[in-house]
Amino acid sequence: MGHIKNIQTNRRGFLKLGASATAAGAALASTRLVAMEYDLGGADFSAVTGEKRTAVPYTCMACNIEDGGIAMVENGRIVKLEGNMDHPNTRGKLCAKGNSGFLHVYDPDRIMSPLLRTGKRGEGKWKRISYDEATSLLAEKLRAVIDRSREANDPSILNEMVVKWGRNRTGGGLDRFMHALGSNALINHTNICESSKKVGLEPSWGPDIESCDWANTKYILNFGSNVLESAYFMNPNAQRLVDGVVGNNAKIVSFDVRLSNTAGYSHEWFAPYPGTDSAIALAMAHVIMTEGLHDRDFIRDWTNVTEAQLLTHLAPYTPEFAEEESGVPAKDIRRIAREFATTKPATTFSYRGPCKHLWGAYQEAAIHMLNVITGNIEKKGGYCLPRGMGWPQPSPNPPKGAAPSVIAAPPLYPLASHHVSTNAPYMIMRGEAKVSVWMSYYDNPVYSYPSSHVWDAFLRDESLAPFTVSFSCYMSESTELVDLIIPDVTYLERHDPESMPSGLYPCLSIRQPVIKPLGGTQEFRQTMIDVIHKVDPDGALGIRKYFEFESVEDWMRQHFDNIPGLKEEGGWDHMKKVGVWPVYGKVSKDDGKLVDDNGDEIVAEYGLHTAEIPASAMAGAVVEPDGRITKDGATIGVQINGKNHTGFGTPSRKIEIYKESFRTYGFNPLPVYKRLPSRDKKPAEMILTTFKVNVHTQSRTASLKYLAEIYHKNPAWISPARAKALGIADGDLVRITSSLGYMVTRAHLTEGIHPEVVAISTACGHSGYGRLATLKHKDADAEWALGGDPDITNNVWWDDKGVHPNPIIRLSIDPIGGSQAWFDTVVTVTPAQPGDTYGDTNVSVEESMKDYEETLRYAYTGDLHRAAHQEVDVDWNNLPHPAASDGH
Amino acid sequence: MQADKFVIPADMAPVKRHEKDTDVLRAQAGLYAFLGRCLEAEVDAALLSTLRGPLCKPLEELGVDLGDDVRSGDPLAVLADLGEEFAALFVVPGAVLPYRSAYETGRLFQPQADLATAAYRDAGFEFRNTLSGEFSDHAAVMLAFVGRLLERQVEAAETGDAEAATGWQRRREHFLQHQMGGWIIGWSRRARTCARHPFYRAILGLTEQVVWADICDIVDEKALQRLVKANRRPLMRQKTDHEFRKASGL
Repeated sequence: MGHIKNIQTNRRGFLKLGASATAAGAALASTRLVAMEYDLGGADFSAVTGEKRTAVPYTCMACNIEDGGIAMVENGRIVKLEGNMDHPNTRGKLCAKGNSGFLHVYDPDRIMSPLLRTGKRGEGKWKRISYDEATSLLAEKLRAVIDRSREANDPSILNEMVVKWGRNRTGGGLDRFMHALGSNALINHTNICESSKKVGLEPSWGPDIESCDWANTKYILNFGSNVLESAYFMNPNAQRLVDGVVGNNAKIVSFDVRLSNTAGYSHEWFAPYPGTDSAIALAMAHVIMTEGLHDRDFIRDWTNVTEAQLLTHLAPYTPEFAEEESGVPAKDIRRIAREFATTKPATTFSYRGPCKHLWGAYQEAAIHMLNVITGNIEKKGGYCLPRGMGWPQPSPNPPKGAAPSVIAAPPLYPLASHHVSTNAPYMIMRGEAKVSVWMSYYDNPVYSYPSSHVWDAFLRDESLAPFTVSFSCYMSESTELVDLIIPDVTYLERHDPESMPSGLYPCLSIRQPVIKPLGGTQEFRQTMIDVIHKVDPDGALGIRKYFEFESVEDWMRQHFDNIPGLKEEGGWDHMKKVGVWPVYGKVSKDDGKLVDDNGDEIVAEYGLHTAEIPASAMAGAVVEPDGRITKDGATIGVQINGKNHTGFGTPSRKIEIYKESFRTYGFNPLPVYKRLPSRDKKPAEMILTTFKVNVHTQSRTASLKYLAEIYHKNPAWISPARAKALGIADGDLVRITSSLGYMVTRAHLTEGIHPEVVAISTACGHSGYGRLATLKHKDADAEWALGGDPDITNNVWWDDKGVHPNPIIRLSIDPIGGSQAWFDTVVTVTPAQPGDTYGDTNVSVEESMKDYEETLRYAYTGDLHRAAHQEVDVDWNNLPHPAASDGH
Repeated sequence: MQADKFVIPADMAPVKRHEKDTDVLRAQAGLYAFLGRCLEAEVDAALLSTLRGPLCKPLEELGVDLGDDVRSGDPLAVLADLGEEFAALFVVPGAVLPYRSAYETGRLFQPQADLATAAYRDAGFEFRNTLSGEFSDHAAVMLAFVGRLLERQVEAAETGDAEAATGWQRRREHFLQHQMGGWIIGWSRRARTCARHPFYRAILGLTEQVVWADICDIVDEKALQRLVKANRRPLMRQKTDHEFRKASGL
């Protein structure tokens, strides 16, 4: 004891001495030991040699958020990825997907050489050829179509050259390629994504997305988005959402059929019946308007409706009505509406949950309206317009093709500005469109589309698609069916211009090869140049002039070297060095905010719609009786209270809650709730929904080892009560059956799901995408040994790759926004039947074709559309005739 | 493994056996060159012609069966068939990738490639790919490199430069042991197991035997055991925990 006492005594003495020494300060400081500065990214050192690694800025493309990144390169090899501190919206952070992205580069199952099919389609027999041979072959096929078109003097033949993409971040490059060829047949992927959200927003206020000021808000209503894990701008939005909730004491309320991580993070979570979000939003609007909690001035000045119109329209949407439809208690709807309207500033956010239903565009428009009537538009902490920047296209830029493409823009969906890509194979199979050359870029519809087996059947059929090409560098379920593969490089080895409106600070960024393309592979941009040069070797067709680039880098210089402001800072050379422009300031080490050299926060600009039109621009302008300011036949702004504002990107330059374009085709011009067919399912049936997780994209990341280890199986979420009634226990094999067929998977019992819903994540259950995604190496010793990948041999501890739900999901299209209604498939869930094994999937192409017929009945010319919209004041017998537009 | 760290150790053990007969060395060089060519790229008309001509009898005498079609089938058909087999075996995703990096790390173009490049450079050779997706640590390039080293050794011996000849021999033996010995035997065996066409089964079998025989000639028993283990890479099955699966393990 005495010993211990001595120590304690000594410690007191030591501390006293220490305090005195501290007081002495600098006089006692070591001159040899210098504190390391804490660098927030941008520098890294080799663990072997200690040498500083080369830091190369790039823009991420592990998913579509396009975060700013820095690649650390050592000996010509990427050893680490981290966030770019100069990117104002992602502020030096990458998500798990982004951090793992370099594994794409060195993946042993990457396609490193052009391959020409030698067996039957999908048989897996290939011949290795050179890029030169491959581009010559493609050019020959394209030239044959062009020659045929010219001989027949029929430009519509050019649309037989089709490109289908899933993720196009070429900055206009792919459009240039197709338009140079004279084709308008560019088919995107957006209708399996959030296109009905876009169409709910665009006619309302111009842009297709919102940019919430999460960090400065006080109240967030989250409708069906899992913003902390996925959704548009996940990383930057998630950062600022946490800033708002933790740093600004904001409240977040989530409506989601599933307890996502975002719902779990929320102060309150409600699980509404699927597809009833607009009933809730309209009921909240009803409360806000009837209780006088709305912003009268904003509605009067900045919308195309009156308070009286809104009150009349919203009258039926009582909280009690919404409770009946959604299951969310009326008292909570009423309370939350009041909180939302009286807590300033506030914002909503929504993503695929509300809009991926039949009539999904209405749902988005209803949610958007909550921000409008409360005056939270373009306010600090409110619901803001997206901020992006453009870049010029090199001149000359080819015009669009002369003939419209019906598969690019199906005429029965005139309001679907982001088109209806899901319908392409059905239209071709029914003879509504013809294909000669089908090109696939960053796309995997055989995995990622609803009723994916229809795409499989289409791509296997040489009579429907005589020549097919994929530019993928991975053997996806779709790529393995094509005739020719001309592999692109990964996103870390190529050039692209970028500007994502992922925050409140608009900026440009770039993608550039952080290493030399691996093994002599060739980026897609060079492939396009080569193909065009071979299609039109002497320029006689007038096509080559659009691709007279000395190099890919020359192409990029033409984008960036003449942008005012950037030009003075070095143009493309600045972008190569810094990766982003402008650089607003630094990220504060204290609170993560953007600050200037004095440490003061750089405040974003708000009220963009109120920007005044300069007097010089008003010269010659006319103020119309309705307030619109027109000049040279175009509307350039709106006059409100004597001031000339630029306003919003709508015909009236105001927020158009009333959408005349909707009414033209027999849709309700105001946001409404339409009861979905799935709402009237039988009691024994359930609704199948899907979701994304935080470490995977829809399909591209399944081959990344870091991510596959974290998440590789996707059991079906079922509520315990429902499971009990069905005789299902946790982990049991279950059969899930839709009208198309069935799948066999395992049950995951959780209270975090609506009792009427069964939910299965995407990203699992691959039959392609390499050894890791398919776990084929575990089928047999010989296959196990293929490639001799020691990671797979020794470290893949899991033997469950999951089961993909898309084959049993029905095609169903929102007739307004064109979105696939992912969350409307009615299913039965039962214990597995005798003979069922995990992963069994049995579906019918014929049944899917019936779904196509069925969904056309909801299109604006269909009988079910008319039956569902009797309230619309339109001449039903004289709706516009379906007409093809110029496609893209 | 840094590229610039590749040097032939000065204190490397002296060669076990000096092959004085340059004809033997030249034959070895030809053998390695032949194996390298067969595995480096698809069989073309010239190679097929050689297989049917000057190499036909020696291969038969060695008991190497390249398949009936290679011996006498329609040339265009056999070239197409072998091209398809080459792609499936060595190129297409799912193939038995012929790269040391892939074999040892599960990734393409790792420092193993730098080591190979450095060794080639140090001996006066530069690796250049002909088609995309070819790396310097390709088994066939390594085989060809050994063949070139043997040629240099012959040249030195024939000009009476014994010191240089020994240097080339050391360089070859070091490369065989340290850059090929730990993987190429196991890789050949795996590829042979997966090969459909008798031509590749034969060539891969020959590769395994030739390289292993040479390695046995140059390393001691202890080192040999290490190489055997490295090449074997036994499968490791994980125990499946059914309770873990049942809990859904999200």
